[in-house]
Amino acid sequence: MTSYVAPRPGAPTPGAAPLEDPPVAPALSRPPLLGMALFIASESIFFLAIVVAFIALRPAGLAVAKVELDLPRTLIFSLCLFASSGTMTIAERRRRRDGWIWLLVTAGLGAVFLIGQGLEYARLLGTGISPRAGMFGTTFFTLTGLHGLHVLVGLTAISGLVLAARARPGGVRATAWESVAWYWHFVDGVWVVVFSVVYLGTVLG
Amino acid sequence: MRTSAEAIGGLALVVGAIAFLIFIGVEAALLYSAWRYRASRVAGPAPQIHGNTRLEIAWTAIPLVVLAVVFVLMVGTMREIGATASANGPAAMRIVARGHQWWWEFRYPDASGEIVTANELHIPSNTAVDLELVAADVVHSFWVPELGGKTDMIPGKTNHLRLYADHAGVYRGQCAEFCGIEHAWMRISVVAESAGDFQRWLAGQAAARAAPGGTAAEGERVFLQNVCASCHAVRGTDAKAVAGPDLTHLASRRTLAAGVLPNDTASLRAWLFDPQRYKPGSLMPRVPLSDADLDALVSYLGSLR
Amino acid sequence: MSATTASTTLWVRRPAGLPAAGWLRTVDHKEIGVLYMGMGLFFLVFGSVEAAIIRLQLAVPENRLVDPQLYDQLFTIHGVTMIFLVAIPILVGFMNYLIPLMIGARDVAFPRLNALSFWLSLLGGLLVYFSFVAGGGPDAGWFAYPPLSDRTYSTGTGLDYYVLGLAVNGAGTIVGAINIAVTVLLLRCPGLSISRLPLFVWMSLVTSLLILVAYPALSAALVMLFADRRLGAHFFDATAGGDPIIWQHVFWFFGHPEVYIVILPAFGMVSEVIPVFSRKPIFGYRFIAGSSVAIGFLSVSVWAHHMFAVGLPDAENLFFSAASMLIAVPTGIKVLAWTATMVGGRLRFTTAMLFAVGFIATFVMGGLTGVSLAIVPIDWYVTDSYYVVAHMHYVLFGGVVFGIFAGLYYWFPKMTGRLLSERLGKWHFWLVFVGFHLTFLPQHWLGIAGMPRRVFTYAADTGWGPLNLLSTLGAVVMGAGILAFVCNLVVSLRAGELAGDDPWDAWTLEWSTSSPPIPENFLQVPVATSKRPLWDRKHPDRAHEA
Repeated sequence: MTSYVAPRPGAPTPGAAPLEDPPVAPALSRPPLLGMALFIASESIFFLAIVVAFIALRPAGLAVAKVELDLPRTLIFSLCLFASSGTMTIAERRRRRDGWIWLLVTAGLGAVFLIGQGLEYARLLGTGISPRAGMFGTTFFTLTGLHGLHVLVGLTAISGLVLAARARPGGVRATAWESVAWYWHFVDGVWVVVFSVVYLGTVLG
Repeated sequence: MRTSAEAIGGLALVVGAIAFLIFIGVEAALLYSAWRYRASRVAGPAPQIHGNTRLEIAWTAIPLVVLAVVFVLMVGTMREIGATASANGPAAMRIVARGHQWWWEFRYPDASGEIVTANELHIPSNTAVDLELVAADVVHSFWVPELGGKTDMIPGKTNHLRLYADHAGVYRGQCAEFCGIEHAWMRISVVAESAGDFQRWLAGQAAARAAPGGTAAEGERVFLQNVCASCHAVRGTDAKAVAGPDLTHLASRRTLAAGVLPNDTASLRAWLFDPQRYKPGSLMPRVPLSDADLDALVSYLGSLR
Repeated sequence: MSATTASTTLWVRRPAGLPAAGWLRTVDHKEIGVLYMGMGLFFLVFGSVEAAIIRLQLAVPENRLVDPQLYDQLFTIHGVTMIFLVAIPILVGFMNYLIPLMIGARDVAFPRLNALSFWLSLLGGLLVYFSFVAGGGPDAGWFAYPPLSDRTYSTGTGLDYYVLGLAVNGAGTIVGAINIAVTVLLLRCPGLSISRLPLFVWMSLVTSLLILVAYPALSAALVMLFADRRLGAHFFDATAGGDPIIWQHVFWFFGHPEVYIVILPAFGMVSEVIPVFSRKPIFGYRFIAGSSVAIGFLSVSVWAHHMFAVGLPDAENLFFSAASMLIAVPTGIKVLAWTATMVGGRLRFTTAMLFAVGFIATFVMGGLTGVSLAIVPIDWYVTDSYYVVAHMHYVLFGGVVFGIFAGLYYWFPKMTGRLLSERLGKWHFWLVFVGFHLTFLPQHWLGIAGMPRRVFTYAADTGWGPLNLLSTLGAVVMGAGILAFVCNLVVSLRAGELAGDDPWDAWTLEWSTSSPPIPENFLQVPVATSKRPLWDRKHPDRAHEA
């Protein structure tokens, strides 16, 4: 046997009859995308559990929430995040050309969102609202903090994609762009839920 | 009308019988097949059978039916228990049980006077008692098997358990939810007694402590001047702390420290000398006392009937 | 390519000259599978010692072999170890090793991620155990109910390592599950439609999807517990508006599917072993496959049967009771199907078959006590008592571990090229089987008699002494059986009889390649012509019976 190299999974063994390649593979039949979809599904369960805990414990912190939450300001930063899904889609479509610029825009919008979150945290901590301080602090910081961490991971993935796209003349595979894009849309989708539950839910609760 | 214990016992018997039949049936089929079809007894190759749809549908449907029957019986039993509960009328009395690490606090809010005791629960026999279950620290669970199932005591929640002892006697139980290092020694005694006996006990518990004389009076001084009073209450003195069991009528109880030791002079002395020896990790510290002080304290606590 | 060269390693023939550090860098699914199984067997030693000490402490009333502080850590870590660090790694190891072989693939979908998942799993386990040298292990039980596990009542770092270790270990398992699911769904060789999947692969697919639903809930619970313990949060702190019951819901949303996650692969292994040693195809493939999917769905809707004593409303209790009873149906289907496979067969009682039959006999008992626990008023009696300890060991040991032993004896020759000794195997089986029942059957009575779980001792006047002593004696017998197994492993690895490609005359694709398989698994991509591709090749004239 020759050198021991891990081949691409599913690839034909040397000298063997080649596998048939379907002409146009639907997204979920491409391993990286199915993998990303399953990962997103599992992360959805994770967020679902935290959201359910938030809703169950909301009454105890509702009064504080009503006073302390700044819906208009957060809405502005949220719109940036929602817009970044749009720029991500554009980036994906233009991946062979200047998509990397749109990735930077996406990352920029995501960073603006995170900075907005950071400012919000600073303001709340300044008025004494922290996980320690009561049920609102406990649930708000945990839920939004976990989401923020996921945004950060997304920004890291986008940066990696930009670097790879710039470094390789042949470009990066479509599945890489798509899976990062799916993750980013997911993070966005989670914020739709979190924003609705935390902010809109408080206002209406 | 059956007590809830009897009702549940009846259900368990039926379920047990069904389970036993299934057990015998399946194991017999398995063992028979293992014996009948071993290679040494079989000539020729095995027929390559893939299944039998009708049989498979049957053995899907029949267990479903059996389980449905069991479910209906269960709902019936639960209704009966609920029915028994209201048939016996609203509970004749209400007792609040609070679980602590690692002892039980019992209060009788319905009775006249303030009645607080620990670890030994007295109830009148043949009377429905509503036990209100709360927790002071972590999750505990109140379980006296002869009187029924268990219900958890959860901080922030009030649960209810209906007790009904159909004859006088002492019923033993213990905490059934792991609650820390001395979970194993959080035992319960439920003393069910006749109405007359119970009223006498209640009256005794409602009184403040008998004024001690002689060595016992000296013992009360020891009690009040050491850390004892920072955790334990004795009604009739200035000791009013609620961190530990109420000791006003300690001598009327059968055991010490939630069932770790019997309540006699020697055990009491040994316990006071070093509680950590008998219940390591319990929240009662070892307090160094002179022999004289210790003897006086034992005499005092022994007088708290 | 010759199948029997004098080779350097046993599991995968690799070119001479690769250093042993290749194990650290490997991305081959077979080697990663072996790493996982090695991890499981390594932690099995610890878990068994923990169990031995527990049983010795409980052998007589008011025993002082260990103090309660140590005892509480022992039963906690025993549960954590056996579930997370023994059962899951060994089963994932089997899945990793066998699935590509059984579906005619070269490797799993994401080999590097596969390696990552192993190292994360191991790291998590080491983190949990590190707690013992860092001030004390976790001691609030394997399901760590708050407030006991919260910062007020568990000072010290034991539970922080529990949280961290299980989070890391869980991340590894989630990544591993994604790999397995994608592999099964997308890397099957030509002809291997979903309806022709070997049942072990079917069960592994359902298992991996269950992992993706259940483990994130555990992560969520652990995050909230960590927030309470170290960030001052109040999720489970009733004095501040929190609720300890939320932990119970979220944990058991994970915890109940977890037990199906460990039993389904064992079901799969037994479904492979029984047909081969009955010389007949599995009876009722479609119902067995379908019942696994049913179990998958049902298992996420039964969690609160662990909480019947919490005081939830009657309607909730009844819902969970009904769902829990329902789950007995797909399980019963399997038991009857396995038995029917044996009927009319030509049974060969190799050790693998002994364990498979022993599995059925034992698991049925565990399943029946499980149904009794689904009945709410009965559960009020026996929950949190030794009846539950008995039930869980009947299904987890009698089910999962017996299934694993069956699989080990069956596939060891494929992985190593050598057979395990049948003589030692018989000793192993009978000692473990008899010892197991001696250990755990009396515990049903102990529970009914009133003995709660997790007690470091019990009073002499309870009368629980004799049955506890019997149980401990059973554990000694079981221990002897495990020792026989370890002997068998060591002896057979060195000097076991050479197995060849297909020692059992079996029918699934892994038996068409060498033992151990070549690195690429197959010289040519196989084509699956039915559920039993090798049957077709061996009996070309009887393809209609495949």
